[in-house]
Amino acid sequence: MDQTHATSPLAGAVHDLATEVVLALRSGDHLATVCGAAGIDEENRTGIAAARVIGADLLLPSVLYGRHPHPGDVAVLDRAVREFPPKPDAPAATAWSHWHMISTLQRMAPPAPGTTAPAPGAYAEPDAAWLEEAPWQAFTHQLSVLAPLAVPAAPSAVQRAAANRAVDLSRGFVRAVRRRDWLQAAGAGRWLAAIGGEPATLGLERGLDFVELMGGDDPRVSLHVRAARLMAEARAR
Amino acid sequence: MTTTATQDRPGPESRPGRGRTPGAARAVLPGVLRTALGWTDAHRTRFALPDDVLDPRTQVNGTLKPLGELAQLGSTIRCTTAPGTPEHELAGDLVAYAWEQVHEGALLLELLRAEPFAAYPYEIYAAFAGYGLRHEGFEALARPLTATRAWAHTEQHANRQLGLVNSERRVGVVTHTDAGGVLSRTWLGGLSEPWMFEGPSGYALTHTVFHLTDWGRMPDRVPEKIDGYLRTWLPAWADGCLESGQWDLTGELLAVAASLPGPAPVELLDAVWPVLADVQHPTGCVPETGAPVQDPAPDPYPFIDCYHSTLVTAFAAALSLRSLHGNGERGETGGDVPGRERHTP
Repeated sequence: MDQTHATSPLAGAVHDLATEVVLALRSGDHLATVCGAAGIDEENRTGIAAARVIGADLLLPSVLYGRHPHPGDVAVLDRAVREFPPKPDAPAATAWSHWHMISTLQRMAPPAPGTTAPAPGAYAEPDAAWLEEAPWQAFTHQLSVLAPLAVPAAPSAVQRAAANRAVDLSRGFVRAVRRRDWLQAAGAGRWLAAIGGEPATLGLERGLDFVELMGGDDPRVSLHVRAARLMAEARAR
Repeated sequence: MTTTATQDRPGPESRPGRGRTPGAARAVLPGVLRTALGWTDAHRTRFALPDDVLDPRTQVNGTLKPLGELAQLGSTIRCTTAPGTPEHELAGDLVAYAWEQVHEGALLLELLRAEPFAAYPYEIYAAFAGYGLRHEGFEALARPLTATRAWAHTEQHANRQLGLVNSERRVGVVTHTDAGGVLSRTWLGGLSEPWMFEGPSGYALTHTVFHLTDWGRMPDRVPEKIDGYLRTWLPAWADGCLESGQWDLTGELLAVAASLPGPAPVELLDAVWPVLADVQHPTGCVPETGAPVQDPAPDPYPFIDCYHSTLVTAFAAALSLRSLHGNGERGETGGDVPGRERHTP
């Protein structure tokens, strides 16, 4: 496990997983296994926790390239869903990312016969009214945390809120760049690439290049920027 | 599992008064204007010119510049406040005081004779001329100078050149070039990527608008595209200035917001004015940058570190009150507002 940049085993595992997602996004290799390449399997407790942090983006290369995910990656994501259900008092963003992991698994890898599906109640969309009310600064921050939900063909109340507030998200992108919060900027930029509607003067493409060059030491920044580029390219086609 | 979160550094989210309270700007603005002008009046002798003002070794930034700003901003406050109000009277007094300091223009003529090829004597004179205070001898000497090719080709930043065009308008001579062409060469006129905003481009942007609109008096001179651009991005820039304690630039951005044609940007004014009002010292002065001092004693900041931000605060407050008044508090309330920048297709 490469922990050059890591401050803890979990942070190291998150770094490794994100790096492998970025590599898979870059190569488009249909045989890529994110978890296998990062040395993580279902029995690796730290690795499963890291998978919970990365969330549904574990399957992002398959989602964006329209391929079947690697069974090993599906197994790790499925394990993360089961091991780390949100607590009743968890922040709404945690409930949303959990929901998105489940819905991504359902979409990308329907349960095989004989396996246990998650309880039906777990599929209900969490509440998103709080997002609509949030000031644009907090809105962008929360959306950036929920950047894995910014993928094509995965409608959600969060995505609808984002689409309704593209100008606010664009302001949040500007604010995040000014604060040199590259991860937040990359997440906000990824949302804008997913939903469109940003003001023309934002200059999102060059802005994302800048964010990646400045903050790319963190592979999660590169992950969001690469996802944004792939979605922008798909929209342009 | 909290590591999914972007680590948002402690910032304005935690500051009270962050969200928009309708009517918040209107509630604080009269007090902000009154006290900022009151502080300026109480410190008017600090704007007085020294006897050696014409000595080339005298620092212009500590003498003629503050006095010129007093005249410039004071005259806009005078023009945007209602006759008969104490603010209107006081602003008029301050401009008259500044005019006395330049000996009703005679001192500016001496300055021009000493530096005939410099632009700044003309710019200071224009601050008065735009208000109707004129000096025949100054204009007689300036007239041939400003008709030269050299004057028309003065090398300077685009926003400064717009300032020269505005000075020419105020004096009433033919402008040396078309303002629209100069505007397109400014940071603002180029509709620059908003995430590249920082202090120097910020001041270039505010001054572009001040010169374009004759210091807020002519909002209709702002082209539609620039109006939409500013309405879209001012909230993000003002937020950053508040967070980094750039109070002077915050005040200038508020003045820009209140110099836009059409509905007042009410949401922005309501979000930012209460914060600036909190920063203002009970005596009315506003520090240029940094954490405000809590000391209630008078003169908590050196004059040179607060006079400009205090004048700008008064200027922005007067313009904001006019903007809000002109729109009966309805103004722009978000959503698809006419004039806001169009989205990409």
